[in-house]
Amino acid sequence: MPSFLKEFFNRNGTLMGSLMLGLVLFWTVGLIILPQLSMLDFSFRPNLPPPEIGGPKDIYTLENYKYLIYGPEGGSQDYNAVDLKVFFRTLVAAVCVTLFNLILCYPIAYYLGQTKGNHIRVFALMLIIPYWINEILRAFALRIIFGESGVINTLLVGSGIFDTPFDFIRNDIALYAGLGYAYILLMIFPIYNVIESLDHNQIEAARDLGAPWWRIHKRVVIPYAKPGISSGCTMVFMLSAGALAAPQILGGPSSLWFTQLIYQQFNDNSDWPQGAAYAIVLLVTCILLVLALMRVFKVNMGDIGK
Amino acid sequence: MTSDKIIRVSIWVYLGIFFAYLLGPLVIMSITAFNSPSFPRATPWECLTFEWFGALFQDERILNGIKNSILVGMGTVVLSVAMGLAGALMLTQIWPKLRATYYTIIIAPILIPGVVIGISTLVFWDRINRMLGLGADSFLSNGLFLTIIGQSTFIASYCMLVLVARLQRYDMALTEAALDLGATHAQAFRKVLMPFMMPAILSAAVLAFLASFENYNTTTFTFGEYPTLTIELAQKVRYGITPAISALAFMIVALTVFFALVNEANIKRKAMIADARKDATVGELAGKIEVPGLISRNPAAIALIVLLIGTVTVIGSAMTYSPDQCIANVQEQKRLETEKRIQELRDRRAKESAEKAAAEGAEGGATQTAPKPSNNSGFGGVFAPNTLQNEEDGAADEGVAGSSNNSGFGNVFDPNSIGNDSN
Repeated sequence: MPSFLKEFFNRNGTLMGSLMLGLVLFWTVGLIILPQLSMLDFSFRPNLPPPEIGGPKDIYTLENYKYLIYGPEGGSQDYNAVDLKVFFRTLVAAVCVTLFNLILCYPIAYYLGQTKGNHIRVFALMLIIPYWINEILRAFALRIIFGESGVINTLLVGSGIFDTPFDFIRNDIALYAGLGYAYILLMIFPIYNVIESLDHNQIEAARDLGAPWWRIHKRVVIPYAKPGISSGCTMVFMLSAGALAAPQILGGPSSLWFTQLIYQQFNDNSDWPQGAAYAIVLLVTCILLVLALMRVFKVNMGDIGK
Repeated sequence: MTSDKIIRVSIWVYLGIFFAYLLGPLVIMSITAFNSPSFPRATPWECLTFEWFGALFQDERILNGIKNSILVGMGTVVLSVAMGLAGALMLTQIWPKLRATYYTIIIAPILIPGVVIGISTLVFWDRINRMLGLGADSFLSNGLFLTIIGQSTFIASYCMLVLVARLQRYDMALTEAALDLGATHAQAFRKVLMPFMMPAILSAAVLAFLASFENYNTTTFTFGEYPTLTIELAQKVRYGITPAISALAFMIVALTVFFALVNEANIKRKAMIADARKDATVGELAGKIEVPGLISRNPAAIALIVLLIGTVTVIGSAMTYSPDQCIANVQEQKRLETEKRIQELRDRRAKESAEKAAAEGAEGGATQTAPKPSNNSGFGGVFAPNTLQNEEDGAADEGVAGSSNNSGFGNVFDPNSIGNDSN
């Protein structure tokens, strides 16, 4: 038995130690690492009926990844324009949703973090309540509002701004509002946590030295809040790129989200390897994007989730 | 000073807009649960009704979904709190060089899209199932098992974060003291560490249950034969929405507000008791501290009581209230309106055909004028000259065939438009 393992059991006792080790190994290896590797492996295999799995036809192939780029073999187009377009649109839209949330939430987080008083607790409560409501129901609420006979259209038509109801769903406005709505809290709390610990005297000092408000934010608050901002942005970006419920409920009939393609591969086409390949592409692209941005803004992985 | 005032006002305006965005949808959705039209809408208000709550409780699939959600939730709570606690304890004593890697691995599931976790769980356990040579109905491919496993993968990370925060304030010397005094490791864990961790364990359990209850992305790939409430809701919302869903949402909102207020009142009360202790004299401490009343100076408790009274009143009136008369009135009104519109349209048609006949007699060539060239929008006739010239006509059109404006052709094919062009 290696010495560190012996020390571990000495410290925790044999029973407690092995229970702890067993749970941690089950979680890290059995639930996190192996399933991801298994999915990676699966994505390189052809789609076979169950009896043929493990047979001579079960060989490694790049077919599933080629499909995303070049489309079906012998197709009329050189590239799989539909799926690639959905993929890039998803990424760009997720970035836009993240930026929108950052701009919307930063002032709120700053205000909540730097103001003292009883009403702050009420605000915090009001922030948390929508978050406990089901994701589906939140999307449903927005659909009622943005619908053709919804409240917004009734107001717009009633006040004479528009002659006819505006189709928010077809124009994807409902989708972006819904995605932004779904992850507001994940943006506010990391930023709030950091800004709360910022000594107000620093801001006072900057103000006394004659800095205008925007320079105080640029030179004092934002550099200090950087870990919180990057943590919030990472979570909102990953979650909105991987969102499935909001696009299914609020998306227009002609516009798809990349996760919906994955869902279709699994449930409608029953092509699991193809779906797994798409999922891998989504996961790897998102992780690379986040890592690249973290490198650019000089943030550590350890700051995420704080 | 004035600029200070402007900033203050703009902060409040911004807060108002922000919270309207945050809470407005929930309020409007709650209102639709009490309105009688069968498509959920808040405006126009027709009749107060409670029938959607009745419809909700008669829905077998929703009830079954709630049952499955609770089963999955309990399994997930047990598994993810246990794994989260083990993971948090491991983090405090792991070899420092491995620490960063280990932390990255256990925090990663929070960032991995839920869809990916669902797929990887499905694929992995399907493969294990095949390797063991079990059939398609073994417990490894059971929807409940897969959903619990899949959800626990990332919910355990949330629990770990909550537990680590408290564990950092734990003094390891306490456990060592217990061991020195002859406790076994299991006893030291149960009698020393557990009581200290209990508040964090409870909040991790609540968090885990709620996260499990509202999860969609992972569950949608793993649920198998056991659709949870969220899955049932998603299917209902995607294929036709009814106010019964609003009713369910309203109840969830009310429950959430209720528990938030209970929690808030509790915290406030504890703080007040602590304050009373601090100010108390030795004599008072020896006897009984005068604990402030439940509602005194506790706005959350007052709000809670108001909410409770409101609920009782609403349920009480719902028992006796019947919206039938109101609904009948509204239907009668609608019928009259429709009849009036049809009549108007008939008159108009008759008048137009008479005019047309007269116009044709007077200047025959005029009817052949081409449609206006500016008419290149997709909605065609919506902005066509006839709507401008003849507003009543547009209104009548909408009344009878409300959807005609939405077709790409607009009023191009409307028989009236030719007649109107000649006007």
